[in-house]
Amino acid sequence: MTGYIIRRILWGVALLVIICAATFVLFRIFPTGNPAVLRAGRDPQPKEIAEIERVLGLNKPLIVQFWDYLKSVLLHFDFGYSYYSDESVRGLIGERLEATASLTIGAAVLWFIGGLGVGIVSALRRHSLLDRAAMGTALVLISAPEFWLGLIALFLFSSDIGRWKVFPGAGSYVPITSDPWKWFTSLIMPWFVLAAGGAAVYARLMRGSLIEVMGEDYIRTARAKGLEERRVTRQGVRASINPIVTLLALETGALLGGAVVVETVFNIPGVGLLAYQSITHSDFAVVQGTVLLAAMFIIVANIVVDIAYAYLDPRVRYS
Amino acid sequence: MTSIRIVAAISLASALALALAGCGSSSSSPSVGSGTSVVSTGGFQSPLTQSLTAGKRGGTLVVLNETEFEHLDPGIAYYNIDYEVVDVTQRALYSYKPNTTTEATPDMASGPPEIAADNRTITIHIREGIHFSPPVDREVTSEDVAYAIERGANPDVANAYFHSYFDSVEGGPKAEGGPIKGIQTPNKHTIVFHLTEPKAQIVADALVLPLSAAVPKEYAEKFDKNKPSNYADYQVATGPYMLKNNSEGKVLGVGYIPGKSATLVRNPNWNPKTDFRPAYLNEILIKIGGTTTVIGRQVLEGTDMVQNEAPNQASVRLAAEKFKSQLEISPGAGTHYIAVNNKVGPFSNIDLRKALWAALDRAAMDKARGGELVTNVMTHFLYPTIPGFEQAGGLAGPKVDYNEHPEGDMAIAEKYIRLAGYAKGKYSGGQTLEVVGSRSSPAEQDAEVVNQTLKNLGFTTKFTLVEPSTMYSKYCGVPKEEIDVCPSVGWIADFADPQTVLNITFNGKFINPVESNNWGQVDDPTINAAMTAAESVTGTSARATAWAKIDDELVADAAAIPFDWDKQANIEGSGVDGVGDLWDSGEWDYDYSSLK
Repeated sequence: MTGYIIRRILWGVALLVIICAATFVLFRIFPTGNPAVLRAGRDPQPKEIAEIERVLGLNKPLIVQFWDYLKSVLLHFDFGYSYYSDESVRGLIGERLEATASLTIGAAVLWFIGGLGVGIVSALRRHSLLDRAAMGTALVLISAPEFWLGLIALFLFSSDIGRWKVFPGAGSYVPITSDPWKWFTSLIMPWFVLAAGGAAVYARLMRGSLIEVMGEDYIRTARAKGLEERRVTRQGVRASINPIVTLLALETGALLGGAVVVETVFNIPGVGLLAYQSITHSDFAVVQGTVLLAAMFIIVANIVVDIAYAYLDPRVRYS
Repeated sequence: MTSIRIVAAISLASALALALAGCGSSSSSPSVGSGTSVVSTGGFQSPLTQSLTAGKRGGTLVVLNETEFEHLDPGIAYYNIDYEVVDVTQRALYSYKPNTTTEATPDMASGPPEIAADNRTITIHIREGIHFSPPVDREVTSEDVAYAIERGANPDVANAYFHSYFDSVEGGPKAEGGPIKGIQTPNKHTIVFHLTEPKAQIVADALVLPLSAAVPKEYAEKFDKNKPSNYADYQVATGPYMLKNNSEGKVLGVGYIPGKSATLVRNPNWNPKTDFRPAYLNEILIKIGGTTTVIGRQVLEGTDMVQNEAPNQASVRLAAEKFKSQLEISPGAGTHYIAVNNKVGPFSNIDLRKALWAALDRAAMDKARGGELVTNVMTHFLYPTIPGFEQAGGLAGPKVDYNEHPEGDMAIAEKYIRLAGYAKGKYSGGQTLEVVGSRSSPAEQDAEVVNQTLKNLGFTTKFTLVEPSTMYSKYCGVPKEEIDVCPSVGWIADFADPQTVLNITFNGKFINPVESNNWGQVDDPTINAAMTAAESVTGTSARATAWAKIDDELVADAAAIPFDWDKQANIEGSGVDGVGDLWDSGEWDYDYSSLK
């Protein structure tokens, strides 16, 4: 098992280098704006552009720029400086990690527990009114874009512009260290909005998986032998949950992508909002930093889930 | 600033603008545009009619900013989003009061600039008793102003307009941040500019820009040695407000948290006796982020807050219908026009350009942008509030048949197509037009209308929509790409001198191999010569007349196809007595705004 984990981590690092190279090349081959030109004024002369390129290090050969960047990232965890604000990318991301972590972890918990809970209830109460209502709602939530859902939530329930003034609105986020209660209440709507689509998918998957498992021979055998229904259900849930857990890792990317939208709508100063602002400013250094960070989270999440998989399913053994 | 950013700023209906036309002018006439329908703002508040002296003192104004700042260093700041902070924290040599676009008031300067008869020397006296904010604390001298301008040429500062306006200063073209021979400080309160060309007026006019705001060399030099300079993170102020800082002067992470907020507090060293600004507010808290849809509602339904940027169409409509007293409209927030390739392709033929102008439904395009509330149909190139606008025809524009029908007139269009040599009144030259538009609203809608109009005239088009920045950097700003039509390009002036509207965009000498802002490659020797001559004209009125004539020539040449003059809409909460500028495209002026 230890060997497996080490191998996975090494592969993860290799994958990060590849992603790093891909994003680096991508942003330089298909730039939407030369950062030096953005700084050079209305009537930019080649000399001025060249000077700024020199200051920003953009005049070096691409391979040298990449090597310098890679060294900085791997050895110092330094993503360079924003072309736009001249701030350290690591600093910019670091300041925002807390907000993004608060949002995504809370949403993931809600997503996982809500999705599984609704799926299990729907599967066990198949064809009931509850089942139909839950699956109908799930369909709506899957179809609803987060941007739209966020705006609807704000216009209905926010304390400033909402029809019913229930929860704090956009721009109300405060760090947990500053005021835990405000932090919690400011994130209720964002958590629900970010979790909604994913939870709905999970609910439908869990329902399907559990229905299938509960029809298996070994479940019927267990019941025939007189095992009480609660224990039968527990066995069924445990068997049907494995593919869902695997999906959780794959969905990390979707969660981070959703965070970009939700942070923008609710004005939560997180990495997602930073990524959005950087894209609109052609601030490649920051975009690259946020892409790498997201990639790192996805890789780590996949490793963690693979390890968890072994504990959840006794048949799985890594060598 | 690049065209990319210019247009981004315009598309937000925000940016720089207007006035001046003569720091040395003795004119005390009211704002340009007054007395015309341009200033009619439908009964909404207007910078022209708002009181500047009736504000109540105290309180904290909350400003909601969807967009992050670009550069808060006064030597780098170039966009209205940055001016929001820079204008209240820094004092340039001259600045505008909110209700004027013709007269710059001496700010750090103690009087108007003294321009020598040969138009090559400018002498300016600096006010006494102005002090830098902590931790510098000392009195401002002319050397601080000289250093502020000189550092603009430092590649690690890279001011965006230094070379556009200060290259006529002796030593300016080769300056790299060190002392410039043509900037002299004979004593602590006098600064003299020696020019190599007779362009004193435009140099003096440009001193309203924040590059002329004093910077203490002994304090800033160590930050300017960094690559790039990080003086912004430790900046000191001369205006009524300062970015909150710590005892070492550090602003970053204290008064300015990138992507989150900026906190402006009173500058303890500001002496109101040296300033004309009332500075009613105690504190200005700027919150960054969110979406304009939500921000608009938050402001209209809130109390002590304003939206800094132009609200979206839905918010403007809502304000006009239900929150009328919370809406302010300001004229003169820039232009949008169609750039057509004057050099190669079908539109090198003047009659085909006139045909497109005649056929275009400019009224429909402006309606899609929000209608009369925020636009006027554009009929020539100098826009409302820019000196020369009235002389160039005002709102109605020059009386030429292709300009007479804002809804478009196919009969006139066909007449010009026939004059171009196509007897049937439809283009049949067989050449496919390369049309590259911007994939953003409302530019995308503009592009669709233009493309359809071209088809109606008989053209075959290859129609492409790309990201706004790509449109300029890869296509419209690159002459060798030979793009025939760029359906929606925009421009706004650095300050209200007509040269800043027409010169870079239509003078052949500004056709650059990349990032060219003369998108249509207009290169008419007669117009070029007229512009070069007009650059040296002094005096507001004379400059207005000279550049209005050039505007006439551009219309006669149909050098581009105009369709939209922007107005700026501003919204405020019910507890705010906001005052907008005519300068800075009508954005809120926090030196004059107050809480009720």
